[in-house]
Amino acid sequence: MKVLQGFDYRRGTSIVHKMDPRAKLVYLILFSSLAVYFLSPYLLIFLFLSSVPMVALARIGGKWSQSIKGSAYFIVIIFVINFAVNLIQQLPLVDALTLSIAMSFRFVVLISIFSSYFLTTSPEDLTQSMVQLKVPYDYALTFNMAMRFVPTLSKEAQIIMDAQKSRGLEMEKGSFIQKIRNYIPVLVPLIVSSFRRAELVADAMESRAFGATKKRTSLYTLRLGDVDYAFLCIVVTSFAALLVSSLLIGFR
Amino acid sequence: MIAFKGVSYSYLPGSTILDDVSLLIGDGELVAILGENGAGKTTLVKHINGLLKPSKGTVLINGKDTRESTVASTAKSVGLVFQNPDHQLFAETVEKELSFALTNFGFSPEESQERVNWAMREFSLEGYRERPPFMLSGGERKRLALASVLCYGPSIVILDEPTTGQDSGQKDRLATLLKKLNGEGKTVIIVTHDMEFVADFIPRTVLLSGGRVLADGATAEILARKELLDRASLVPPQLIDVCWSLGVQPSLQLDEVARNVERLVGGERH
Amino acid sequence: MPIIEAHGLTYSYPDSPVPSIADVNFTAEQGEFILITGPSGCGKTTFCRCLNGLIPNSYGGTFQGKVIVEGSPTTKRPVYELAQKVGLVFQNPENELFCTSVEREVAFGLENLAMPRDELRPRVDEALSLVGISHLRDKSPDELSGGEQQKVAVAALLAMKPRVLVLDEPTANLDPMSAASVIDILTRINRESGVTVILVEHRLEMAAPHANRCVIFSGGKIVQDAPPSEVLYSDEMESLGIGIPKVVQVAKRLLREGRLARRPLSSKELSDAVRGCCP
Repeated sequence: MKVLQGFDYRRGTSIVHKMDPRAKLVYLILFSSLAVYFLSPYLLIFLFLSSVPMVALARIGGKWSQSIKGSAYFIVIIFVINFAVNLIQQLPLVDALTLSIAMSFRFVVLISIFSSYFLTTSPEDLTQSMVQLKVPYDYALTFNMAMRFVPTLSKEAQIIMDAQKSRGLEMEKGSFIQKIRNYIPVLVPLIVSSFRRAELVADAMESRAFGATKKRTSLYTLRLGDVDYAFLCIVVTSFAALLVSSLLIGFR
Repeated sequence: MIAFKGVSYSYLPGSTILDDVSLLIGDGELVAILGENGAGKTTLVKHINGLLKPSKGTVLINGKDTRESTVASTAKSVGLVFQNPDHQLFAETVEKELSFALTNFGFSPEESQERVNWAMREFSLEGYRERPPFMLSGGERKRLALASVLCYGPSIVILDEPTTGQDSGQKDRLATLLKKLNGEGKTVIIVTHDMEFVADFIPRTVLLSGGRVLADGATAEILARKELLDRASLVPPQLIDVCWSLGVQPSLQLDEVARNVERLVGGERH
Repeated sequence: MPIIEAHGLTYSYPDSPVPSIADVNFTAEQGEFILITGPSGCGKTTFCRCLNGLIPNSYGGTFQGKVIVEGSPTTKRPVYELAQKVGLVFQNPENELFCTSVEREVAFGLENLAMPRDELRPRVDEALSLVGISHLRDKSPDELSGGEQQKVAVAALLAMKPRVLVLDEPTANLDPMSAASVIDILTRINRESGVTVILVEHRLEMAAPHANRCVIFSGGKIVQDAPPSEVLYSDEMESLGIGIPKVVQVAKRLLREGRLARRPLSSKELSDAVRGCCP
């Protein structure tokens, strides 16, 4: 799925890659909230444009645009559903159109904001942010491992599909229900393999003294630098300005 | 008959996994595709059962271009056994696992039943008919995965890294099985980096490195050529290493090597 | 005092009525290089897990007898403590490496031990350099070859400075050159740092020349425990279904005819022995 390209972190040397992940997390949370709150396409376009400088500075344009192109499928679905619902609710045509466009565009904005975060932040940095933000280590680690094994699972799913296709499984054949049933020979080995892997990873972790102390240390700790503070200032100020003006003017 | 004509394969632009591979494997041959990890061996055999189609060149299986058939129709005559049985086993019972391919390939219920019974006898899985595959031991699961591919009777059988993690006894049994399949007229291909197994049991070797065929011919000849092995980043089989260390004629036959070394020792005595 | 001792060790996994290993007696001294081999499924993996306490502490099951590591029985110590003395490397690096960079992977164990950062860094650097993979430090484990991944696993354990390194078929999934490279590193570490190496291997021709002891498991028991030149040349080897290295097979013939004075374990040793026959 092309849209997943937006979550495929690679090491980088840009300012954005080096920024403290907590600052980026603040951006993610504040601006996604605005994206969910705002309904006007103009405001949404503005939010979309806010992520563009980050994407440009981080030189992640390739994966970012792939991710957005990949979301086209979802955008169409969202538009159609919203449009239909709005018409049923007997909204005037223009309003129905504007609203549906806004809803579908909101999805694009969210993809853009999320991928500008995930493409520049390693799973480890995310975990470290969570830990330094006082999330219990076990939860942060679970999250980290889930992300780390996504490419492994994806590779394995491909191998399993190849193996079953070699035994005559035709994924595209048959009725809708048959097509769903065709996934069983792929999902079952994948799930079983994941359980087996979980046991082995647990063994490996214990063999490296996991659980020895309650307060782990870390090779790297996050420390906010000048760039981070500047970035946070801009983000928080824009967020406040947008939200306050929106409330005052009564325009979303 | 398997024919590769100038086959190149790229997954991403700029990275060629197979580079101008031309190859002919006749019916009933026993061949090893040998090379280090990453040489392109698995990619090559996936072209044989149609899982992959060449970016350039043609692959003909029994005269038919693989691009003109679905994977399922090519796979009916080409059985590919993957390295890890757990990537295949999914059914509720051993019986259902064995009938999976048979159902997919359109065998009648009566014939399916016959073939399932045959597979269970042949691979010592009788008594496990109703058992879930996951409850079998590692070795039993490996046999089951193999059985579930062989039971639909493909004329070409490919095994991907079948000797990984196997002890010597298991490898001997594998060799016996390969000879038996070959004796039945099947074309048998193994993909491996196991020099010893190839040296001991497989008459023909196709040496692959960096997606290109470095050599193709008699195992005894190819595995004795140092410059080829160096280019392919492979270590020589033990007997060849012994021969090189002692300066005797390279050979893959233990008796011959022993005799040559005896002669050497005898000669040096005087 | 031996660094590891096992007395009458018998163990059955939780759902299994039959013991995987029975009445195993074993000792390992500091600095030894012990090669363990035997047919598949004969208890070698189970035995490895007993050495760092995973069995019985994490696996449950029925555990009889004793395993003593540096004087303490494994049943009375948590795995995280035993793991600092006995490092365990597994077969499949994909299930062993779970961080996104080699550096962090090697640091993981020390982070678990709450080592302060100014001690952590040099230890990570030392471990990477000991294994010869400092140039890989920023790479992600899934960018590495199988051999490199196993080296990372070894470095990750060495960072904790264990007295013993146990490796359960670490080269099973590797091609011959990567396998030789990993075994070379183990040999060097054993020689230079005095870390005891206990290696479970099928590739006897690669590992035997470096080992001072060869232990054979069969049917869950230890059936031989002696220097490789004794074990590999014994008549029992043939009946146990273990692959005898070709060098040994050739040398055996020469020995039978009295044409050889030594029992070589590698081509080089054979070549030296043959040359040595010249007056």
